[in-house]
Amino acid sequence: MFGYIRAYKPYMRMFEYEIYRSVYCGICKDMHRRFGFMTRLTLSYDSAFLALVDLSVRGKKLSVKNERCIAHPWKKTMCAACGSDLSYASSVSVLLTYHKLRDDIADKGFKKKLIAYSLLPFFKKAYKRACVKYKPLSDRISEAMKLQTALEKDKSAGIDAACEPTALMMQAVFGEIGRNQREKALLARFGYCLGRFIYITDALDDLKKDIEQGGYNPLIIYMRSHDIQWDGQGRFPKQIRELCDATVNMSLGQLADCYVALDMQRFRDILDNIVYLGLKYTYNQVKQEKFNKRNKDRKGTTQL
Amino acid sequence: MRNGKDPYVVLGVQRSATEEEVKAAYKELVKKYHPDQYQNNPLQDVATEKMAEVNEAYDEIINNIRNGEYASYQSTSTFFDSAKVRELIQTGNITEADNILSRVDPARRDAEWYFLKGSVAYKRGWFNEAYDNFSKANSINPNNAEYAAALNQLGSQRSGQMNGMPSGYYQNRNQDACNCCCDLMCMDACCECMGGDLIPCC
Repeated sequence: MFGYIRAYKPYMRMFEYEIYRSVYCGICKDMHRRFGFMTRLTLSYDSAFLALVDLSVRGKKLSVKNERCIAHPWKKTMCAACGSDLSYASSVSVLLTYHKLRDDIADKGFKKKLIAYSLLPFFKKAYKRACVKYKPLSDRISEAMKLQTALEKDKSAGIDAACEPTALMMQAVFGEIGRNQREKALLARFGYCLGRFIYITDALDDLKKDIEQGGYNPLIIYMRSHDIQWDGQGRFPKQIRELCDATVNMSLGQLADCYVALDMQRFRDILDNIVYLGLKYTYNQVKQEKFNKRNKDRKGTTQL
Repeated sequence: MRNGKDPYVVLGVQRSATEEEVKAAYKELVKKYHPDQYQNNPLQDVATEKMAEVNEAYDEIINNIRNGEYASYQSTSTFFDSAKVRELIQTGNITEADNILSRVDPARRDAEWYFLKGSVAYKRGWFNEAYDNFSKANSINPNNAEYAAALNQLGSQRSGQMNGMPSGYYQNRNQDACNCCCDLMCMDACCECMGGDLIPCC
């Protein structure tokens, strides 16, 4: 999906990390089994979080065994076994990637289009298979994508409005997990806040690139309407940092309210780690331009 | 109330408080202000006065709860049907509530309008807009407890507060010399309480 939802490893216990990793591996294998080899390359730890919430709320079983992994064939690692039900997370990952590719073909530059065109055939079949079970969800995602395109054309949206499409998308994805009306509503709100967090973090992450290449970015619109001069060199301007801080903090604050109300018991420590530490840590990394999408910290000393 | 004070503010309870909560708050205040404690004390007059106020507020709120009249203390606006908008927001009909609000003439937008506009944004998940509107409502009418509560809640989250954060275990404490000294002093004090001594020179 996006790669901004991760645990903060230094505060994780070893066995928690192993469960977290095994869920990730399990989704990867599940995607291979059901949707073909190529789809697994698009997996990120976001899906592991979604899977953990799904497992926790629905009380699905998770069994773990030692298996070889395609990325590290020389050693065996813990991996969620076939019996664990990770199908929701892998289906959602496929749906989101497919819609993203379609979107790239519609309105991105030449390079992106080429990549999207070459990947799309692998996802067509997978998408159809995922749609069998999750058609309404797929429709809501594509609606949100349309809204995103409209906003990018319009180029005048405020921060709240700009976050809306991603937020609605995550709202749909998480809302689906709930078993009853109350859980559905809470998870939907939880997803909405998470979507806001993802979008604003992404916007900040891409800000420099977008200023250079003249791409769409709600923060650029904000800078224009508030007369903030910045040429994309050095640190982010103070007003931008404050705006992002406020938006992220409010979204996470509300997200925490829903999380507390949901009171999930299974995998609580891992979820706590992601919700209370991981998200903020990721955002701070992005703010200090130390964030690396490939889940590896940049070389050099890390400030804890 | 006679002096025009809001009984909910006097007792320090929320408008949605239950009878038990009100009673508990009342007991606390009685303990604090009971005139018997202030005999031969210059504060006696103040305490008596305060006690009367608390009694009156308590009676009024209990009456309200028993008669189901929460709404009587909700602020209203003279320019539009705010009770209707409140009801729409409560039942989740955000679009309709927003429609009514946006039909109000911009020159006649009062604190209540900004508060409700903020509530609509809040329900929708547009927290930045909600915060701006709540602060506007609060700056127009700083005495309204409801507006202040809304602003406070979002404001504390805005500065980084997250509910339910596991305490202690997760806190990123700064281990520095100063903290270390404080810890030592505390330990010394504790030891001395028990008859021992950790740092003999103090």
